[in-house]
Amino acid sequence: MSREITITIDDKKIRTVEGKILLWVALANDIYIPHLCAIEGKDLPEASCRLCFVEIEGKNKPVTSCTQPVYDGMVVRTRTAKVDRLVKTAFELLLSDHRLGCASCPKNRNCELQRIAKERKLKLRHTRFKYLGRETAVDDSPDSFSFDPSRCVLCGQCIWADHEKAKVGAIGFARRGLGRTVATFNYESLKDSPCTECGLCVEACPVGALSFKKNT
Amino acid sequence: MTAAALLEHYSKLKEEALKKKEQEQKQPLIMVGTASCGIAAGALEVKEAFLKEIKKHKLQASVQEVGCMGYCYAEPIAIISKPGFPPLCYGNVDEGLVKLLVQSFLIEDDPCYEYALVALEPNDIFPTFSDFPRGVYEHKIIMEHCGFIDPEEIDHYLVHDGYAALAKVLSQKPEEIIEIIKSAKLRGRGGAGFPAGIKWEACRKAAGEEKYVICNADEGDPGAFMDRSILESNPHQVIEGLAICAYAVGASQGYFYIRAEYPLAVKRVQKALQQAREKGFLGKNIMGSGFNLEIEIFQGSGAFVCGESSALVSSMEGKMGLPRHRPPRLTSSGYRGKPTVINNVKTFSYVPAIIRKGADWFKSIGTEDSPGTAVFTLVGKVKNKGLVEVPMGTTLRQLIFDVGEGPPDDKQFKAVQIGGPSGGCLPESALDIPIDFDSLKEAGAIMGSGGLVVLDEDDCMVAIARYFLEFTQQESCGKCTFCRLGTKHILDILTDITRGEGTMESLQILQELAEDVKDGSLCNLGKTAPNPVLTTLKYFKDEYLAHIMEKRCPALMCKEITLYYILPEKCTKLCNVCVGSCPTEAIFTREDGIKVIDQGKCVKCDNCRKTCPPEHDAVVKLSPAILPEEGGEKK
Amino acid sequence: MELLKGEKEAILKHTKEIFQEFEAKRENLIPILQEVQKRLGYLPRLAMQKIAEFLGIPPVDVFALATFYNQFRLNPPGKNEIKVCMGTACYMVGGKIALESFERRLNIKEGQTTPDREYSLERVACVGCCTLAPVVVVNEQIEGKVSPTRVDGIILSLQGEKSKEGEEANEDTKEKLKGEKQ
Repeated sequence: MSREITITIDDKKIRTVEGKILLWVALANDIYIPHLCAIEGKDLPEASCRLCFVEIEGKNKPVTSCTQPVYDGMVVRTRTAKVDRLVKTAFELLLSDHRLGCASCPKNRNCELQRIAKERKLKLRHTRFKYLGRETAVDDSPDSFSFDPSRCVLCGQCIWADHEKAKVGAIGFARRGLGRTVATFNYESLKDSPCTECGLCVEACPVGALSFKKNT
Repeated sequence: MTAAALLEHYSKLKEEALKKKEQEQKQPLIMVGTASCGIAAGALEVKEAFLKEIKKHKLQASVQEVGCMGYCYAEPIAIISKPGFPPLCYGNVDEGLVKLLVQSFLIEDDPCYEYALVALEPNDIFPTFSDFPRGVYEHKIIMEHCGFIDPEEIDHYLVHDGYAALAKVLSQKPEEIIEIIKSAKLRGRGGAGFPAGIKWEACRKAAGEEKYVICNADEGDPGAFMDRSILESNPHQVIEGLAICAYAVGASQGYFYIRAEYPLAVKRVQKALQQAREKGFLGKNIMGSGFNLEIEIFQGSGAFVCGESSALVSSMEGKMGLPRHRPPRLTSSGYRGKPTVINNVKTFSYVPAIIRKGADWFKSIGTEDSPGTAVFTLVGKVKNKGLVEVPMGTTLRQLIFDVGEGPPDDKQFKAVQIGGPSGGCLPESALDIPIDFDSLKEAGAIMGSGGLVVLDEDDCMVAIARYFLEFTQQESCGKCTFCRLGTKHILDILTDITRGEGTMESLQILQELAEDVKDGSLCNLGKTAPNPVLTTLKYFKDEYLAHIMEKRCPALMCKEITLYYILPEKCTKLCNVCVGSCPTEAIFTREDGIKVIDQGKCVKCDNCRKTCPPEHDAVVKLSPAILPEEGGEKK
Repeated sequence: MELLKGEKEAILKHTKEIFQEFEAKRENLIPILQEVQKRLGYLPRLAMQKIAEFLGIPPVDVFALATFYNQFRLNPPGKNEIKVCMGTACYMVGGKIALESFERRLNIKEGQTTPDREYSLERVACVGCCTLAPVVVVNEQIEGKVSPTRVDGIILSLQGEKSKEGEEANEDTKEKLKGEKQ
């Protein structure tokens, strides 16, 4: 599996190793592909945010780059009409369930959604799809951070940090469909959960859902 | 182990079964169809009534429970075999008919032909299945014995060459079995039609000793119930198919993944597994061949998405039933990360017959690329509802109008919904396409698991699309963006349209979003979820436009833009039936005696329209929701 | 949800018995949850904690499954469970009308239990009896061709059964409901 190969992304020739995941190869070579849920080193990728689409020569439909191993002679385009259309729709869908108001968001200027909007020239407002505005409650019971589900994009980065890095098991996904949410056992407050406030989940959050409190 | 030794072993078991059967046939035998649908229609009461009458008259006759033969519209069904007569099938049996049959037929030798539906064996007195249009088109392979044998009695299966195929394959090389299935071009009946032989081969060739075979009986499509029916009517056939697959791929552990909503299917499979173990068709060293196989049941917990193979495996591993990206395919990394074959109930059901009769026999039925038969649940607005098995290539028109005899009450056929929430709605103009995996896909529907719902002039196509999207939206696992949020927005737009609040702009967004959800979703649930929308937009756009432009539901089905109205010229003034039938007291009597509906109170339950005596027929539905006299719009 | 008197003991007793039937493996999680619900009618918080302990996994992972699958409920069901089928065939011929009729008569919405815990109302995906549509499952018994009038009939017969059960049973439930909360 360690064969050296050459692939082409957006006309740029890249030397890499066969079998690596395309998304990480692109990012390591300064080619940006939008992504939220991808976690390097996780053996079965989530592939849930549906933002990292690219087109590969020889395939008739866009594929997610987080699931695509590279092979010799692969020719990749990160910007095509088909890719842009899917990314735009996925992004607008995520925004339709995301409380905007960047100015008052603790992650303002440090937010992956803002980055995607900037890179792909997408609007940070609700356009085609109306804002769902579901009722959620902020959990600010921990001393050092708070959790605002209305800004959560369900990427799963925090759960990975909690389960695999911190090895605590305070949070997980619950329910399904539109109700899918990051939750504690029995929806109890984080203060009452096994959370140790190590902060790893907050650091992992790409958006403003988990944020440190200002004066700690 | 040699083929001869296996055959001898098997022949002994079959011999015993035949003897038992002969004994049974010496006296009259009454078989009552007790699959879930039969039981719901009162089959258990019918069985009790037969037992009671037989006891009362001190007759020598036995009563047996059998499965479902697919004639659901005539449930409860009973079959009476009496020496000297062809076996006769009676429909809509109740206690009165039971008494009559026992007295006239069992005691006095008068079979009461006026109540009989059909004879089961050729004879010169009474017509058989092949004398009816339905019988002409039907070709039963996997339903052949359903409804005619006791599913809880392994000997009944043995009599019909049950487990002969297993005995046959155990002396052959696994590769030879895979070759037969490949050559038969057996395609998976779970929906997409992936060739079973290729799946088996991939699993066989995958590295590792530990492998699994799983029967997917997580039938969740609303409107489809053939998997339940087969498991309840002939579970051994599925077990045998699964066992042959396990031998072919090199697995020694198999599972049935059955919905918890199907308790009777679970019970019958459980019993069948136990009997198969007792006879030595399962367990260690099967029929002396050295092949070991254990099969267990796993009960699904009510998540439609678990019909998707990777989600099914995930739930068996004690996790949420979330699909994952493939590859890796399940044949290389499935249950417990080991190579796994997952096939549908029907797919496994074909296997014993293919092994016994050969790949060429199988290919002689159906079409070149989709050989064999298709099993459909024919429901909705059609006279003969039920389970039907027809050769692939039969046209939809034959199925709906010849087998099903079309919509009842002289209503106009409008569309047929095929393949459940993942399928689509096809109009009259598409009825001549042959039923096979590829033709249906081309038309925008899919074979799916075989649910077929016939719709007539009273069914609104926007409301149907909305219904399916409501289903997929509720059943979405929520993992990926397109399915979780995309189906929600599609549903919201459809809801607006059914309320008369749609716009041309939202119709455009609907089309774009449906296409993107199809292309962008992670798994097949999401990828196919927009099909009901895309096909209705393609074939019934005029109905969308009527809702949007005129606030009119052509089928008078969408409540928000339809109202109930009592025609003054037709109302008799004398009867009070509608007033009494109204659950919300919305109907009152005007000074002149005419009944009037208070639109503010009316909940549009349809009770008054149903109860108004047919000679008056004074209650009508109007859309757009505008009252004729005042001419003003009312909500 | 507060536990009734004696409920805690019942939970501990049943979970202990159930754990003896299963190996402590993650893949037994769903079968264990099914067995617990079969015995207790729902999945109490305490039971989920005990299951997590038994399997050596975080309680939140048990909770994840309990909230993902339709079959599991976190609140006690009504004494009479009414499930209205919303399969295609049923929907087409008035499943929704039947559901609305139950909602009106019982004065609850789908997914709810009446305050006296007598009735709970749910919608279910296809129960596979499409030819009898619209279908309602009342206490595991399938009722076919359910019109609004039939809905009234079903409720009347359930009320009838209740009064037939006699005072004894009634006293028993009342006692239970009155019981000191823990």
